[in-house]
Amino acid sequence: MSNWMDRGLGFAVPLLIALSVSALVLLAIGESPLDTFSLMLTEGFGSPRRLASTLSAATPLLFTAVATAICFRAGVFNVGVDGAFLIGGLAAVVAGFSLPAELGWALAPLCLAIGSVFGAAWLFVPGWLLARLEVDEVVSTLMLNFIAVAITGYLVNGPFLSRQSGNNVTPPVHEAAELSRLMPPATLHSGFLLAIALLAAYAFWTRRTPAGLEGAWVGLNRRFSRMVGVSVQRTIILAMVLSGVVGGLGGAAHGLGQLYRFTDGFSAGYGFTGMAVALLAHNSPLGMLIGAILFGALASAGTTIQLFSDIPLDLVNIIQGIVMIFAVIELGRISIRRRAKA
Amino acid sequence: MTTIALGATDIRKSYGPVLANQGISLSVGPGEIHAVVGENGAGKSTLMRVLQGIERPDSGHVTVMDRDVSFGGPADALAEGIGMVHQEFMLAPDLSLLENLVLGDEPVRWGRGALALIDWKSAEAQGRELAERIGIEVDWHRRAGAAPVHIQQFVEIIRLLRRGTRVLILDEPTAVLAPQQVNELFDLVRRIREDGTAILFISHKIGEVMSLADRVTVIRQGKIAFSAAIAETTGEEIASHIVDGAKPVTDEVKRGTPGKAVLEVTGLSAATVEKSHPLYDISFSVHAGEIVGLAGVAGNGQIELMEALSGLRRSIGRVELAGVDLSGLGADRRRAAGIGYVSPDRRQEGLAIEASIEENTIAGSHRSRPISNGLWLERSAMKRVALERLSRLSVKYGALHDRVGSLSGGNQQRVVFAREIAVSPQLLLVSQPTRGVDLNGIAAIHGILRDFRDAGGAVLLVSEELDELQVLSDRIMVMVRGRIVGTLGADADRREIGRLMVMEGAGA
Repeated sequence: MSNWMDRGLGFAVPLLIALSVSALVLLAIGESPLDTFSLMLTEGFGSPRRLASTLSAATPLLFTAVATAICFRAGVFNVGVDGAFLIGGLAAVVAGFSLPAELGWALAPLCLAIGSVFGAAWLFVPGWLLARLEVDEVVSTLMLNFIAVAITGYLVNGPFLSRQSGNNVTPPVHEAAELSRLMPPATLHSGFLLAIALLAAYAFWTRRTPAGLEGAWVGLNRRFSRMVGVSVQRTIILAMVLSGVVGGLGGAAHGLGQLYRFTDGFSAGYGFTGMAVALLAHNSPLGMLIGAILFGALASAGTTIQLFSDIPLDLVNIIQGIVMIFAVIELGRISIRRRAKA
Repeated sequence: MTTIALGATDIRKSYGPVLANQGISLSVGPGEIHAVVGENGAGKSTLMRVLQGIERPDSGHVTVMDRDVSFGGPADALAEGIGMVHQEFMLAPDLSLLENLVLGDEPVRWGRGALALIDWKSAEAQGRELAERIGIEVDWHRRAGAAPVHIQQFVEIIRLLRRGTRVLILDEPTAVLAPQQVNELFDLVRRIREDGTAILFISHKIGEVMSLADRVTVIRQGKIAFSAAIAETTGEEIASHIVDGAKPVTDEVKRGTPGKAVLEVTGLSAATVEKSHPLYDISFSVHAGEIVGLAGVAGNGQIELMEALSGLRRSIGRVELAGVDLSGLGADRRRAAGIGYVSPDRRQEGLAIEASIEENTIAGSHRSRPISNGLWLERSAMKRVALERLSRLSVKYGALHDRVGSLSGGNQQRVVFAREIAVSPQLLLVSQPTRGVDLNGIAAIHGILRDFRDAGGAVLLVSEELDELQVLSDRIMVMVRGRIVGTLGADADRREIGRLMVMEGAGA
């Protein structure tokens, strides 16, 4: 069973239960479940444009899921990917409008790099605290999320506030810093390709590199790792920093590819949805791909579905909520195991 | 007048082919402390499980207050007034000590069933009275998890007394206590004895048995080996019965021919961390082509010494490997310098039990050629190396990617040796190599150790089985309370080894 789940089918059971419950709800309000589900399927995947919209919504989740998985498989309970996403996003956007536009094609990669460096520095702090001083990483990373919201909120409402806009946004980035759109007018941008590349790199790292092996061992058994000569401290810090790189890149891609600016409320809980994806996928690359696309489809179908039917948007929330419950169960299972080990 | 508070008559119990209890009889009277001693696996735990109604004996019967009883389950034993304090305390850590005291049997002030109100005043009065009676002070409103361990233990005892326990079974109660706390516990147990409670005291610390018990029974290989009043025996006599002929020597004894010194330890000391034993000024050497055995009653610092030498535990003093100073280096550097380590805790440290056989076999070599080219893993080389290592020690397994936890204990231990020996260490630190391994596996592991020694390797071996030490070692050092108290030839009389093991009153 667990092997089967690890191959990326961890979503099947939660999804089936979620669909059954929503079918009951639909029957109760006098709608046909089959019609509704087929409408959702059409809205999510029915045409190239709709598919693009689904993949676009899945893009930030791919980043945050990979960022979470890097830490979770090493037994590091990092719940601070959302903070790295915000910090990396703001850093990349600020670079995107304040660096000279004359840098041309080099501007976008430079901004992405800046976003990843900020994300890495952000999560290095709790990683160092955990490795050296055994500061509980759940507490420190959770707190850092609030700090990230507060700092970025202050900056976007103060020093970096756009004078041309009535909303709480920064000025737009230079055109040269924008990530190209893959299928205009859909918002799917080349950040999606970057996310897929990172997913592949993650798969390679976990299976084919010494550091990836060490990460898994540290996650399974720290005493064993120490005994065979692995530095547990270094592995923990590396996992946090890599998680920050990926999380920061996610925010940068979202800012440069989707919004072209930083706004108040930049992350719609992407860090946490990504965590749910990683949990249900048991950190497997294929599972995270499926999960991110699933959540992306729900989000993009949900917004259009109420335009074309009497189904309220809440239905999507019910489905998402039930799948989330399973993610929370998985989280609880891991945390019980973690406490038993301590 | 009751003569037998709790008794067992001719108890037999087997698990498959393992005869855990082969006709054990013993009894404890009111106001008596009866110590039950024996090595790990001698059959003490099985007997206690029978006395508590957890296991049904194959034959034989249990007597409580001079009546033969038959327990349907643990609840029956509790109702008969038999209570046990386990090594791992059973208190709910997030409840207060008072709440733990009354849990499951709360005094009620008003109403009944789910609507009842707990009478906390009377609960606290009961707790205070019981504590006073056995002469201790308890802050009843403290969270149980935050209370010192000995207080937790006392509360557990008071809790059993409050429920009407007339026979108290203490399972190695001093294992988690500091010496001062041990004295407090013993005072308390003596006062309980004066109230007429019968006490079964399970221990393998002979010093404690001598100072606390009225009678002692030694269990060895599922049988009673010895039983006497404490006044009529000595610590040495008890020790000799615990270790004497515990297992017949089956494999041939062949000694090594020691060469030059490989490991030289001078003035090694280590501080205590939680639940561990400090080490005091230890000096010795191990030579090439030699197995040095480290004997001692469990918990006298043997494991801590191995950890200090492997770099897993901080220590001060000088450690040299073939003339190279390794003092102060961590586990990774010492491993690289040529120290192999076979952990006493195979499932929690020796192996990553959830990881594959392949990964467990190559761990530690995963950063060097041919497995890694510096950037990534050469999967085919990794597989080849794992197969070679496993076949060298004839490990039996299904597939390389199976969980190592799916193997038998003996094969798991062979995986550990396959990994540790493959990198040709100069020194192998080996603790409890055959714990939980079947007879064939034991012979194979002994063979591995001898081959390693005969090829010029140095071995430091810790075992709780004196037979194993005598069969394998070229010299035996005895450790008591974090010090090496003597070194003997492997052919030394076991009684002499036993005498050293219980030196200075032995024990903690």
